[in-house]
Amino acid sequence: MSERQSRLGDLNVGIALLWRVLVRYRRIAAVSIGGALIWMSMVVWVPYLVGRVIDAVVSGSGMSNVWPLLGLIIVAGAIQAIGISLRRYYGFKVSYRAEADLRNEIFTHIQRMAFSFHDVTSTGELMARASSDLSQLRLILAMAPITLANLVMFFVVTVVLVIIDPVLGLTAALMVPALLLTSGRFASRVVGFSFDLQQRLSELSHVVEETVSGIEVVKSYGQQAQQQKRLDDKAETIYDAAMGMAKQRAIYRPLFEIIPALGTVAVLLIGGIRVVDGAMTFGEFVSFTQYLATMVLPLMITGWFFANLPRSAAAASRIDALLATAPEISEPRRPEHLKPGQGEVRFNSVSFAYPDGASVLKDVNLVIPGGTSVGLVGATGSGKSTIAHLIPRFYDVVQGSITIDGVDVRELRLDELRSEVAVVFQESYLFSASIEENIRVGDPMASDDRVRSAARLAKAHEFICEFADGYATVVGERGSTLSGGQRQRVSLARGVVRDPRVLILDDATSSVDAIVEAEIQEALKQVMAGRTTVIIAHRTSTLALVDNVVFIEDGRVVAFGSHDELLETVPRYSEVLAADMGAIA
Amino acid sequence: MKYMSSAGDYKVDRPGRLVGRAGRIAPDLKWPFVGTVAITFVATIVRLLGPLVIKGGIDQGITEGDRQVIVTAAAIFVGLLVVQYFAAAISQWSVAVIGERYLVRLRSVVFSRLLRLDMGFYSRSKSGVLVSRMTSDIESLQEFASEGAAMALTNLLTVIGVAVALGLVDWQMALAVFVVVGVLLGVSVIFQRQARRAYDQVRERIGRVLATLQEGITGVRVVQAFTQEDAQASTFGRVNERYFDANMDAARAISWYFPVVALLRVVALAAVLGIGATRVLDGSLTIGTLVAFLLYLDWFFQPIINLSNVYNLLQSALSAMAKLFELMDEPVVVEDRPGAHDLTEPVAGTVVLDGVSFSYEPDTPVLFDVSVAVDAGERVAIVGETGSGKSTIAKLVMRFYDPTVGTISIDGTDLRDLTERSRSDTLALIPQDGFLFSGTLRENIAYADVSAPDEAVWNVMRAMGIDDWVRSLPEGLDTEVRERGGRFSAGERQLVALARAFLSDPAIIVLDEATSNLDPETEIQVEGALRVLLSGRTSVVIAHRLRSAERADRVVMVDAGRVIAEGTHDELVERSAKYQELVEVWRRGTK
Ligand SMILES: Nc1ncnc2c1ncn2[C@@H]1O[C@H](COP(=O)(O)OP(=O)(O)OP(=O)(O)O)[C@@H](O)[C@H]1O
Ligand SMILES: Nc1ncnc2c1ncn2[C@@H]1O[C@H](COP(=O)(O)OP(=O)(O)OP(=O)(O)O)[C@@H](O)[C@H]1O
Ligand SMILES: [Mg+2]
Repeated sequence: MSERQSRLGDLNVGIALLWRVLVRYRRIAAVSIGGALIWMSMVVWVPYLVGRVIDAVVSGSGMSNVWPLLGLIIVAGAIQAIGISLRRYYGFKVSYRAEADLRNEIFTHIQRMAFSFHDVTSTGELMARASSDLSQLRLILAMAPITLANLVMFFVVTVVLVIIDPVLGLTAALMVPALLLTSGRFASRVVGFSFDLQQRLSELSHVVEETVSGIEVVKSYGQQAQQQKRLDDKAETIYDAAMGMAKQRAIYRPLFEIIPALGTVAVLLIGGIRVVDGAMTFGEFVSFTQYLATMVLPLMITGWFFANLPRSAAAASRIDALLATAPEISEPRRPEHLKPGQGEVRFNSVSFAYPDGASVLKDVNLVIPGGTSVGLVGATGSGKSTIAHLIPRFYDVVQGSITIDGVDVRELRLDELRSEVAVVFQESYLFSASIEENIRVGDPMASDDRVRSAARLAKAHEFICEFADGYATVVGERGSTLSGGQRQRVSLARGVVRDPRVLILDDATSSVDAIVEAEIQEALKQVMAGRTTVIIAHRTSTLALVDNVVFIEDGRVVAFGSHDELLETVPRYSEVLAADMGAIA
Repeated sequence: MKYMSSAGDYKVDRPGRLVGRAGRIAPDLKWPFVGTVAITFVATIVRLLGPLVIKGGIDQGITEGDRQVIVTAAAIFVGLLVVQYFAAAISQWSVAVIGERYLVRLRSVVFSRLLRLDMGFYSRSKSGVLVSRMTSDIESLQEFASEGAAMALTNLLTVIGVAVALGLVDWQMALAVFVVVGVLLGVSVIFQRQARRAYDQVRERIGRVLATLQEGITGVRVVQAFTQEDAQASTFGRVNERYFDANMDAARAISWYFPVVALLRVVALAAVLGIGATRVLDGSLTIGTLVAFLLYLDWFFQPIINLSNVYNLLQSALSAMAKLFELMDEPVVVEDRPGAHDLTEPVAGTVVLDGVSFSYEPDTPVLFDVSVAVDAGERVAIVGETGSGKSTIAKLVMRFYDPTVGTISIDGTDLRDLTERSRSDTLALIPQDGFLFSGTLRENIAYADVSAPDEAVWNVMRAMGIDDWVRSLPEGLDTEVRERGGRFSAGERQLVALARAFLSDPAIIVLDEATSNLDPETEIQVEGALRVLLSGRTSVVIAHRLRSAERADRVVMVDAGRVIAEGTHDELVERSAKYQELVEVWRRGTK
């Protein structure tokens, strides 16, 4: 019951969105509707003219009266054709334009949604919004103009029929409500199934997506058969939903032909008797049959329109819900600017928890003096990456505040903040583009020289030059055609080229060998000079580089000081790193 | 791109071949299909009798002034309608059954091909495009199956039926109609050619839209970190706009074709009226026949218009079908050879690479003549610079690819002669980035064996020392790990991936930097677990932290795709200058 209500609520939201879209493209929509009306106004003449021809024939008045009528029919046909053309072209244009624009809007919106949103929203779900939901919406938009014209036509035809012969006219006009009611019933029967179908399609798509992106795991555990079974099961549930729909369709679809045919029977019966009685002419009788024939398709289309409206409105309401979700990280109303400074980062009693998790950071107080470097050390899952993500404001702190050179990060415009705070993520995500483009993500304006020197600092230049296409080498999705260490170095170069006030390296050399790591460390000295650098690392060699180390346990800062100091004074610190120290005899 | 070129054969301009091949996917549906055509045929015939009844009613009833005949005609008409209703309902239903059954099959077949394709194919392809094959392409077939197929069949039969009926009722008027229809056919050919091109483009470009969209979503964190939202949006906008253009090309074709059809319909009407009126006037035709003819005429053009209306569904379906066949024609490179067999139990676990060379791209070799022999129960470490080919060796051992030259064998059996089953039961790889599926923690750990009891899962976690951590999670084993394990920290993900491998209990385990994100303390703990859980098993460990090498039975040093040294850690320190350097640097770093 409540599900039904919420569905109806969704419908209203969806229809409101559809309406807004139509209003937004009112010019194009108007041309399309105009075309539809031209078509309609011509089409209604044809049966009348046919009736006149028949009357002329029956009364035996000769062909000279017939030819002009035939001419008129062809003229009406020609104008009608122009109407159809306008209606179709501009109808498509509205619908495709709306689809494309909304898709852009959705994409832009997704780009602005905060990490916390993406943490809990699957890729497939967002893909569905921007693909299948949108095409559902487009279908209904494309049909809107003709449906409007059809409704007008039903009204006009009814009036014409009643004028020609009130009794027969009213009888024949009964077909309109009969058909519309039938299609309404059909729609309400089918809507549940179509929701299910949509749902199951997206579940299937999820199985495919996961299989494709996790194919290495699938193959290494030989789970092809299981994966196949999961897919087959989903396909089977799709079958069930589709057949549920098909059953209703089998019951109702034929009615869309039978009902008009019953109208024809009524015309034959009542009209025939009235012609015999002399109450109407034979030509009028023929006009009636022609009107009925003319109305069949428009009635079916209208029925189709209303049958699909709930599904499209539901899709529209899902899109609306997505677009209406405001990014959790919002721009400040009255933004401040960064003060000149060396990039002092300060955590003031910061507490943080992920929306669904236990608290991760507890009352963290920390001052990283501008221009110095600091290492974050702590066990797996202790909250190092979380700290790294709070500084550029990927998440907002739950309590306390973080400042950069004295300005709260929440008071800064996001692009200003993030252009001065760069993170090299723990996971090296590369786009399927050239290596150069991937580095330039850090700074699209960077000169070739700067791109190359960043790559050199990240020890990426050498291997890039060994590729046949050098910097133009296009890498696979997520960088899949590079080795782990190569990927990591490209991603490091991306951070370096950004040249920010605060640079955060989250385990950025975990996948490179000792020699390259040492070279990178050497190069990092240059990058770190005069820049606030936060380095998350487990390697003592890296920690020896930094001015200070922050030791984190259980979301708390338990020690702060130089590496050597901590080694001496904090036993847990040495324990955590012990395995890394003096390991090789 | 290699895989694009193999597709040429099934371009949509050979619909016959396409349909023929499509039929072969589900040969068992052939007879149900024939039955459906038959019942549809009955429905159509019954339908076509209608105008004849009206003709009778007019000529013998209205013209003669006989009310009784009119009533009888109406009654017969209603009777026919009842029959028509049931025949049409059954036809609708059975078309749907066949269509939907077919799609179940098709999904299964395409997916199974996808599962068989090698990793080379996956790294060449965009995952968004692959997913769109299984989703938007098959959905467009579904749309055709549910909306278009029944319509197409009914209307096709109606057109044929009406053509015959027109000829029978009056051949002179029929001739005029056929002339107009001839013109219509010519126009349709032009339209089809234009629309086909447009729809192929539409399919092509929607794939690209989806792929770009997907990358925009999966890479969103990087985009935001580097404030590239606008750049990203404008790239997407361009791809999206090209899709819009393709759609509008199709729209343009439709927007001239349908008006022309509508015009021709009116021309045919006028022609019939002209001829009919002349002949009624000279008495060679009854008025009832003329009216019946007019009714038939509507039933002639309407199905043609309906057919054109479902034409775009059909065209999308054909284009989609062609794309699917393209995928199904991808050669399966890595496949069990005929006669492949299982390893004999118990598996000892020797791994031998013999003169293995390999390249991902034709002319950039990555491995040269690599020979390594790992004894049963031995622990071998592979070390070497990044990019030297270590992971490639691991992937070859897993048979993600086949070597270009040379062989890899397990217990003396060439990997290619081994069944897929046996291979995956024997080997487990823990890759550099531990991929987790969305789902619960339990599902991920027990991935290789969904029926594993909780006890076994807990045992592994206890051995690894992560049971406390799991217990501390709000929902324990039922914690939803989210896409790619996003709920966890990088190190936690690696722990889960390790637990998954340990639980699968393989005879040979390959660890490709599986602990790179762990803190040293946890790493030691995991190594302890490794020793306990894998005692007596063969393991190949790839690691940059030389601690692992030191603890291994043997070390293999790889440089630029070649094995340059092999021996125990101590031996190598003495023998290999390169290794010495590596150790030297490492030692300096750990001071
Ligand atoms: N799918 C692929 N397609 C093309 N080239 C690839 C592919 N995967 C890896 N390569 C290339 O093959 C070479 C060896 O890569 P591999 O991953 O084996 O190195 P690795 O020794 O494991 O390095 P790392 O220590 O960085 O993980 C690299 O130059 C890499 O760019
Ligand atoms: N998106 C998230 N939602 C909920 N919990 C999360 C999320 N990301 C991380 N966590 C949890 O927060 C804790 C801290 O994670 P974080 O990534 O900061 O650890 P870390 O110190 O960087 O670990 P590692 O060394 O493994 O990278 C972990 O227990 C983790 O499970
Ligand atoms: Mg981390």
